Amino acid sequence: MRINPILEKDLKTKLRGWRSTILICCYVILLIGILFLYFASNNIFNPYNTHNFNPRMAMDAYNLIITFQFALLFLAVPAITATSVSSERERQTLDLMLVTKTPVRKIIVGKIMVSLAHTMLLLIASMPVIGVVFFFGGIGFLDIIKLLLFYVLTSFFVASCGVFFSTVFKRNIVAIITTYIFLGLITFGPFILFLVLGLVRERYSYTGFSPVYRDFVSALFPSSVFGFTSFYISGSSYSMYYGYYSPGIFSEVAQEIEQQRMASTGLWKLLHPWLANGLFNVVASISLIFLSARILNPIHRKK
Amino acid sequence: MMVHVDNLTKRFRGTLAVDRLTMQIPTGEIYGFVGANGAGKTTTMRIIAGLLKPTSGKVYVNGVDVSKEPLEVKRNIGYMPDFFGVYDDLKVSEYMNFYAGLQGISKSKTAELADSLLQLVRLTEKREAYVDSLSRGMKQRLCLARSLIHDPKFLILDEPASGLDPRARVEMKEILKELRSMGKTVLISSHILPELSELCTAIGIIDSGRLVASGSVSEVVEKMSQSGRVKIKVADREEEAVKVMMEMPGIGSISSVAGVIEVNVSGGNEEYVRILRTLVEKDIPVISFQPIEGSLESVFMHLTERGNGNEN
Ligand SMILES: Nc1ncnc2c1ncn2[C@@H]1O[C@H](COP(=O)(O)OP(=O)(O)O)[C@@H](O)[C@H]1O
Ligand SMILES: [Mg+2]
Repeated sequence: MRINPILEKDLKTKLRGWRSTILICCYVILLIGILFLYFASNNIFNPYNTHNFNPRMAMDAYNLIITFQFALLFLAVPAITATSVSSERERQTLDLMLVTKTPVRKIIVGKIMVSLAHTMLLLIASMPVIGVVFFFGGIGFLDIIKLLLFYVLTSFFVASCGVFFSTVFKRNIVAIITTYIFLGLITFGPFILFLVLGLVRERYSYTGFSPVYRDFVSALFPSSVFGFTSFYISGSSYSMYYGYYSPGIFSEVAQEIEQQRMASTGLWKLLHPWLANGLFNVVASISLIFLSARILNPIHRKK
Repeated sequence: MMVHVDNLTKRFRGTLAVDRLTMQIPTGEIYGFVGANGAGKTTTMRIIAGLLKPTSGKVYVNGVDVSKEPLEVKRNIGYMPDFFGVYDDLKVSEYMNFYAGLQGISKSKTAELADSLLQLVRLTEKREAYVDSLSRGMKQRLCLARSLIHDPKFLILDEPASGLDPRARVEMKEILKELRSMGKTVLISSHILPELSELCTAIGIIDSGRLVASGSVSEVVEKMSQSGRVKIKVADREEEAVKVMMEMPGIGSISSVAGVIEVNVSGGNEEYVRILRTLVEKDIPVISFQPIEGSLESVFMHLTERGNGNEN
């Protein structure tokens, strides 16, 4: 079997020359820079530092790095995929692909695989940096694998959204903007709804609102941020200004969700946030692929 | 029969692009599809290639319904649109590889196949050149090679000669002759008639989405020359001659300059005979009486003179 020709072609053109190498280098340097700044601002390099090295600080650094990567994934993957089909259309090469015997679905999957390959490349390039933090933060190998899997599933979903809007909208710019808006809604929307619902219930219900894990999962599963709480090491953070440990808001949320999960029973307990969200991502992505293929297929196309 | 288009209609919102078009292309034929800009050639071709859903009507390629089994049909069709559709950041050989991959051709066969096609379109030396370094004519030929990569039985070429300089046109023509000798069935469109007349074994003329004539080149000419022009030279009494003819039925527009009268006549040879006899009976000194051969160009002009004009 041949490797998907679209994947092959796009990687060939995108990885050609120095551009992508420079990009990857920039990315790794950025990661190192963030870490350096973080440690520097916490005086770790100061020989007169009164504090000893604190593993908590490494955990915070770990949180910082994975949050940065997570955010980058949401910013970068749509930029690659939301133009993937519309740029072929603008270049007038879309028809040339559609007249081949390659089914439309395979064209869509090829485009998604291109961005997955990019994500993987960046993740792999960052492994040495993350490895160091993981090591000091006491994170296990299995945790890294889980995190990588979660990243891949998330980029699969983000990429599918990008490609989907790229097939819906003719123009690059419209496709990009719509993708970002849609991702913003599906990522933060559930939290906002959950909060509003909670406030309303608290006010008007006699029993008040004390959500259990099941409530969290069934309301927040589409949100990747919910899935992300699985990996965020919660607890108090070290503050350089005040010299004491203070929990952040996100940390508190992550902690609450984790506690509720531990308190639940049966399958719910096994359904970690990242798993719940990961499953949603897979199902949603596959649906989006079929939808995109249907829209792109000339025989089904309405117009 | 390679292609059978049955009562095809395509409506874009307001415009009727193709209007109950029926045509047949026998296997091995080089079928010229002629019509002015906006006549509906591209639309028809895109529907045949399975890129556009018709409003109504059916298209069969090699006996297979395009709307029912598009992938099966695509196996048999090579399509070259009226634009290049190239990736500037690919090399010629990579470009060919990409489409070979999309057509499901194995890696081992691709190299050999691409080489022979590049040779056919005379681009062998450009194998390792980037596509954006090619001239227009070369890009056009590369696109032709691409559309041939899966050895289709049937080729759709949408205005392959438009926008090319005369030399590139000649080259394109040579390649098309080779395709004919390879036994391909070809549907080729143009808004310039002479371009196709010597190349094609059959032509169809489309106007406002309707096929107004089709058949072998000579058949269509014959049919169209039913309404032709005649050039009459008179020694004297030019005005009287014009007046006589104007009173006759079946006479179109008349122009006369310095003893040369040109008359549009609808009708066949009997009509010419009648005109000449009448002029002689009226004692007009006719020096010469010459029906103008129904050249394709004039056929075409005649067919499309109402409405959308021919731009080039
Ligand atoms: N995508 C489209 N949307 C709306 N109208 C179209 C579209 N494509 C073609 N048309 C219209 O259909 C008619 C036929 O166009 P076309 O098939 O491109 O003609 P030709 O190829 O003979 O020049 C024209 O009037 C054109 O404006
Ligand atoms: Mg056209």
